Amino acid sequence: MFYYICLRRRSRSGTRGEALTSRRAVESGQRAALPVSVEVEQYAKEVLDFSSHYGSENSMSYTMWNLAGVPNVYPSSGDFTQTAVFRTYGTWWKQCASAPPPFRRIPKGFHSKDYIELAFEEPVYPTSVEVFETYYPGAIVQILACSHNPFSQNQPTDVRWEVLWSGEPTKAPTPQARQFAPTIKHINFPTNLLRLEVNSSLLDYYTELDAVILRGVKERQMLALYKLPIIDINDLSDGEEELTDVGVPFGKDTERTQNGYFEKLPYELIQLILSHLSLPDLCRLAQSSKLLQQHCYDPLQYTQLSLQPYWARLNDASLGHLQSRCTLLQRLNLSWTGHRGALTLTGISSFLKVCGQNLVCLELSCCHFLNEACLEVVSQTCTQLQELNLSSCDRLSPQAFTHICKFTHLRRLVLYRTKIEQTALLSILTFCVELRHLNLGSCVRIDDYDVVASMLAARCRSLRSLDLWRCRNLTDRGLAELAFGCKMLEELDLGWCPTLQSSTGCFQQLARSLPRLSKLFLTANRSVCDSDIEELARCCPSLQLLDILGTRLVSAAALKKLLQACPLLRLLDVSFCSQIDMRVVQELSGQFPLVSIKKSFTQ
Amino acid sequence: MFSVLSYGRLVARAVLGGLSQTDGDYRLISASYGFGKDFRKGILKKGMCYGDDACFVARHKTADVLGVADGVGGWRDYGVDPSQFSATLMKTCERLVREGRFSPNNPVGILTSGYFEMLQNKLPLLGSSTACIVVLDRRGRRLHACNLGDSGFLVVRGGEVVHRSDEQQHYFNTPYQLSIAPPGSEGVLLSDSPDAADSSSFDVELGDIILTATDGLFDNMPDHMILMELRKLKNSNYESVLQTAQSIAQQAHDLAYDPLYMSPFAQFACDNGLNVRGGKPDDITVLLSIVAEYTD
Repeated sequence: MFYYICLRRRSRSGTRGEALTSRRAVESGQRAALPVSVEVEQYAKEVLDFSSHYGSENSMSYTMWNLAGVPNVYPSSGDFTQTAVFRTYGTWWKQCASAPPPFRRIPKGFHSKDYIELAFEEPVYPTSVEVFETYYPGAIVQILACSHNPFSQNQPTDVRWEVLWSGEPTKAPTPQARQFAPTIKHINFPTNLLRLEVNSSLLDYYTELDAVILRGVKERQMLALYKLPIIDINDLSDGEEELTDVGVPFGKDTERTQNGYFEKLPYELIQLILSHLSLPDLCRLAQSSKLLQQHCYDPLQYTQLSLQPYWARLNDASLGHLQSRCTLLQRLNLSWTGHRGALTLTGISSFLKVCGQNLVCLELSCCHFLNEACLEVVSQTCTQLQELNLSSCDRLSPQAFTHICKFTHLRRLVLYRTKIEQTALLSILTFCVELRHLNLGSCVRIDDYDVVASMLAARCRSLRSLDLWRCRNLTDRGLAELAFGCKMLEELDLGWCPTLQSSTGCFQQLARSLPRLSKLFLTANRSVCDSDIEELARCCPSLQLLDILGTRLVSAAALKKLLQACPLLRLLDVSFCSQIDMRVVQELSGQFPLVSIKKSFTQ
Repeated sequence: MFSVLSYGRLVARAVLGGLSQTDGDYRLISASYGFGKDFRKGILKKGMCYGDDACFVARHKTADVLGVADGVGGWRDYGVDPSQFSATLMKTCERLVREGRFSPNNPVGILTSGYFEMLQNKLPLLGSSTACIVVLDRRGRRLHACNLGDSGFLVVRGGEVVHRSDEQQHYFNTPYQLSIAPPGSEGVLLSDSPDAADSSSFDVELGDIILTATDGLFDNMPDHMILMELRKLKNSNYESVLQTAQSIAQQAHDLAYDPLYMSPFAQFACDNGLNVRGGKPDDITVLLSIVAEYTD
């Protein structure tokens, strides 16, 4: 009995770990020696899902599928084709006018911008996770483990995600390769499905990942048998004693109010204070008193709602609970949510029927629950929609996209890596004439981009930004029509469009037609030459971002002219340009210190 | 007519055939050897390269794959290293095979995918090469091959050539070639599509010898000399295969620099009105394989 009292007192002041070990110390004498668990080391077997990548669909160059298997590049450092590379890096995309404003109420610990999910062969209790980063490391911000086995035939039920490690976005001191193996939390279920979340905002160039190792044990260590229920939860809540002391709010004042002086504050002021709370805190606060419940449930707190940080836990029930508060919802972010059956058509329909009428912006990036029926419901309920993001919704069938025609007020449309086909896209462009920002990156099912360009020029004259990354058959004809029709164009991404030939004069004509051009990406267009650069210098003084990766034909002299003529230039990517070596880059950087001149290397 | 050796081989095959009753898979035991032109020894750059030639051997669950590529030397005059294209092509095809991104019965697909991947490289690759890909479907015991240009392969069974690839030339000394040309010169420089490759498929038997090589071999050594060297191959182990590959390559290399020798190349030139004699100095790559049983 005396021993038990001592144990309780020690537990109250100690940590859970200490309590466990002290308990174990008491009982260890009675146990036999524990068997040593064998540690299993595995490389990823398969890449299941990801938010973006640099490479082409069906390619093995710079695509996410390279993260499976053993390292191809490590310990070398450099920009190699055999690595996994995300679509963006740094803040260059966020700075553009085409970037949507960030949502409010993002919890402090959530930094993730991209993710990748990996399946391993054997479920284990993880002891360590190691990532081989081979170029500009430092982007990994979260590692999570899932309780569901992706190779099992059963439908996923009770899917739990546990954070193994979480951190801030960083930038390693050098771009050289490293093995990243943070200390991970120990979890109480075996896993063979990991998720890495990254944020490369601080990095100077694309981060590249080579492989991931999952180390773990097959059998749970004996230690974990000392389950939590054995330890009295009261022993562990250190704060409990403090709470009981604060039973009487604000002490001795005779003027007793229900909530202290708080309720004397003006309604709007309380609303303002509450607008700084994160969503979980807002929900918790609602449980504290009737007044605060009224405040926390006020629809004015829910004009913008980002549920992306809570992707792991969001389900139909959660949407159901939030429904009544979201009648004034204008901006909704459901990106990354609803996988593995967490969100269904019923839940979404019910939510949008209540909350869709004022919706102006809807982010549905990587929403794999989205199917044609869902998109139809969206089109029926969200009639005022101006911004729609369907980035990487690669399971959406081609016929689903025709519903987008109903959003006649659409200003921003992101269709990156979707299966949209030509007919649906042309219909959308016919009806959505207010389009300002259009992203058709990696839309591989479009047959003829010249026709699309022609339609844009005819119908979408307010177009400000256009992303045609990897549009494989756009020619000078289409580009000319585009430049002629969409005079307001400021941002144009023509990266990896191999059919554009500088010899047709298309780039020079582009420069002449679009004097407001601030972003131009001509990544891997091998025909870009000095005349194009000089014409840009002559005609586009507002140029801020330029990418001419991989051309042999541009000289240092032409670049100098450009840098002199474009004082707003901030990014110049001359990676793999044969005539521009490191010496030239250093010289130009010295003369033009405000410009980030990028030159990638392969060691 | 039958030599003791070939008789013995027949008997052995019958016995083996009877004993093994194997439903098991076949496999290729392969070895490569070669010489770069101008006495540049086979400096192993990335993978297996001999001068401007390159080759690879790869395996996947269902198939064994071989490939050779002969970089077209004319690029050197334009400041482009001809070995970069062939080496990158072979390395890319090897990676495709290792990752299973191919069908054993479609070797042209490997070339097409390999060529496509080269265009996805950030590096502005330039150059051209021939290509020859040979795939053994292990379970089906069938060989699928494709050839673009003047490299090629022979299949030798029982001391006789039973299959060979055809040379593809546009005109003299200008073979079909995969190429990545500088922008604007597409009309001027030759660039053949991977679809232009010749394909063939046929069943193989245990003991079949497959010789895949660049024109450095075939232009210097006629078939009968190659067959003579192959007769010396007794065992189906790697060391013997390597030794035979080395002796073939060495002999071709010696003949290439013999000014009086009437090489197949010289013979062909004479047939076309050019009065020449001697071997043809060139990069030589020999990839020798023998069909054996697959044992774990």
